[in-house]
Amino acid sequence: MDIIEAKKIVEKAILSILTDNIKIKDDMHLVGSESLLDSMKLVELCVLLEELADENGFEFNWTSETAMSKSRGMFRSVATLTAEFARQSKAS
Amino acid sequence: MIIVTGASRGLGKSITERLTDRGEKVIGLARSPDNLKVQSLKCDVSDYNSVKNAARDIKKLKTPIKAFINAAGIASMNMAITTDEFTVQKLIQTNLMGTIYCCQLFAPLMVRQKYGSIINFSTIAVALALKGESVYAASKAGVEVFSRTFAREMADFNIRVNCIAPGPISTDLLKGITDTQIKKIISNQIIQKQFQKSDVCDLVELLIDKKALSLSGQVLNIGGV
Repeated sequence: MDIIEAKKIVEKAILSILTDNIKIKDDMHLVGSESLLDSMKLVELCVLLEELADENGFEFNWTSETAMSKSRGMFRSVATLTAEFARQSKAS
Repeated sequence: MIIVTGASRGLGKSITERLTDRGEKVIGLARSPDNLKVQSLKCDVSDYNSVKNAARDIKKLKTPIKAFINAAGIASMNMAITTDEFTVQKLIQTNLMGTIYCCQLFAPLMVRQKYGSIINFSTIAVALALKGESVYAASKAGVEVFSRTFAREMADFNIRVNCIAPGPISTDLLKGITDTQIKKIISNQIIQKQFQKSDVCDLVELLIDKKALSLSGQVLNIGGV
């Protein structure tokens, strides 16, 4: 899966979880005080991305040691999550 | 569908039989599942990858999970200073880590469906601080705190998490405890009688039932303390 396809999937997943209709930007935070998502919505996003990964034939692992790190984790922004989603699809 | 760990023996086996008898579809997880009378999967709860594989297989069934029952567990009755390092690690790894692994890896399957009941197992030895069960009780005390906290984390997803803490129920875990010790434990319960596996099964039935929708984050000590 290339980065463009990954971006489509990740943005669609985030939008389906959010109740507000907002424009998703690459630099939006997904963890921390300025996060787009609260902890409940973040769990929902993880589970949804896992399902979407399944549909695309790979396993999405969100439980790495640094996954939730505000400075290093995949959820620090929409862009980093997209990049990690694409990376995991290629690595499978 | 209801999933039961430790389904091949002891309380897990009794719970599996009870739920099957009442018409529930049960999948039993066990280290040696060959003789199980229900659909089963090999799973060692103390091994993260083994639990992960079992969760992956269950997910493929695409069947709603009504309840997950963490009945797998081991016991070793010894004073802390006479318990060897291997036994300490095994008790913590199976009872505490095993429960955490199962909750971590199976709860996401319930998150999407936005309902479910998780039942973990503690022991009355925690509340009574029973002499000679310090490491075992410590592993189960961890299960209690984990369950109460996890219940709060899962509440928004309509997933209830409770803990059953049996007293001296007649299972393999009771091997090595004398009748005198059993009587002493029972004398500390509010209801001073030895309860049976069927009493535990009754509580399991209650906790997975709609009648228990108001219960989460609770530790139910059988016999009372």
